[in-house]
Amino acid sequence: MAKQCDRLIDYFNNQLTEREREAFEIHLGECASCQEELAELEELTMDLPFGVDAVEPPEDMKDRVLSNVKNVNQVKDNAQSSDTTTKVTDIKDKKDMPPLKKKKSWYKPLIVATLTLSLVGNGVALIYLNQEEKPESTAPSEPEQEEVSLDTLSQKHALQPSEGVSAQATALMIEQNNHVNLVVQAEDLPPLSGEEAYQVWVLEDGTPYRAGTFISSEDGTGAVSYVMDYDKEYNFDTIAITKEPNANSQQPQGDILLSSPL
Amino acid sequence: MREEDVDLFNRVQAQDEAALEQLYDRYERILYSFSFRVTNNKFLAEEAVQDVFTKIWTKQRNFDEKKGKFSSWLLTMARNTCIDLLRKRKETPYEFEERDSIQSKEPTPEDQVEWKERGEEMQSALKELPKEQQEIIELFYFKGMSQSAISKTCDIPLGTVKGRVRLSLKHLKGILTKKRERGVYEDG
Repeated sequence: MAKQCDRLIDYFNNQLTEREREAFEIHLGECASCQEELAELEELTMDLPFGVDAVEPPEDMKDRVLSNVKNVNQVKDNAQSSDTTTKVTDIKDKKDMPPLKKKKSWYKPLIVATLTLSLVGNGVALIYLNQEEKPESTAPSEPEQEEVSLDTLSQKHALQPSEGVSAQATALMIEQNNHVNLVVQAEDLPPLSGEEAYQVWVLEDGTPYRAGTFISSEDGTGAVSYVMDYDKEYNFDTIAITKEPNANSQQPQGDILLSSPL
Repeated sequence: MREEDVDLFNRVQAQDEAALEQLYDRYERILYSFSFRVTNNKFLAEEAVQDVFTKIWTKQRNFDEKKGKFSSWLLTMARNTCIDLLRKRKETPYEFEERDSIQSKEPTPEDQVEWKERGEEMQSALKELPKEQQEIIELFYFKGMSQSAISKTCDIPLGTVKGRVRLSLKHLKGILTKKRERGVYEDG
């Protein structure tokens, strides 16, 4: 059992894998000396955070954080009011989304996915039934899909706005039928003019690859779903959104508005 | 009168937005400063703060009064989030010497009574520790490093890390205890 006792530091520092942690917790339940040492570590470190120097938070952080926190709640209300089955419209064939004229049904899975992820915590797979929603009479009808596939949410990132930009965006990577579907949703985007469009990029060592194009609605929101089918395996390290002169930029020409490490 | 943290917390869990804001105002500075100290990155620090409040708001975490102070519970949650966020980023080599030079130091805000009281004592106690014990605490607690990373960074055998961590923390506690006794004596 000496081996498990050696893991106390890594357990305290949240450095164990899920499986290691479970094994350690079983050990902890039986090992009086580990229990004692853990309690001791907790007690001895309790006051340490107060030893840090004060750092001024960004001015608009409070607004951002509180609205994001409350937003989770609104999403929850939406989710609760909907049926027990989560309805998801599959848009995997659309690489470039049409302008957002009104709230489309595909918006719902995104917020439900975000909510569920927040609720269950990072790393836990979200599994939901992929089920076509009945097209509204006015909406262009899409072929009904009979097959049911299991999608899992593999990554979620909150993109950070660049200096002087107030926009917000979230990127979700959903594994679906051996493909990765990248879903990006953005708010408070600066307005577009003419043929301008927002372009999502994923980068590997500074080399950008196109990952979805979209335009925003009047209130500055926009979203895009993109199937990440590239010619080979990449190890992307960054995701970024730029404003481009049109929807066809093969290399970014505009400045980065939002970005996040992957 | 100042509303108890626990009462605020219960109101937040009952989806009281005013209570959420009050609790946020009360802990924004210490949570952000601490998260910044751990991550050394303002975006990650903000993400950690948001994560803490999201977890409270969505009732993913429950506070148990028997397990200690509310503030310590919040800060532990922030620390775990920071470590998670750091682990998701690529490993960057860490230089002990560089830390203090890149932080802009500000006076602890006057309204943060608890921080002021517990912080000043802690800061001066940390400074009294020998350099290598300061470093062990820095790497173990503030950087949340794994045992093997600490062993490599400090160039000490893996098997001695836990012992050194405990020794350094106990030494720190001893210094704090002496300070407090002296404080009580001087006040009396």
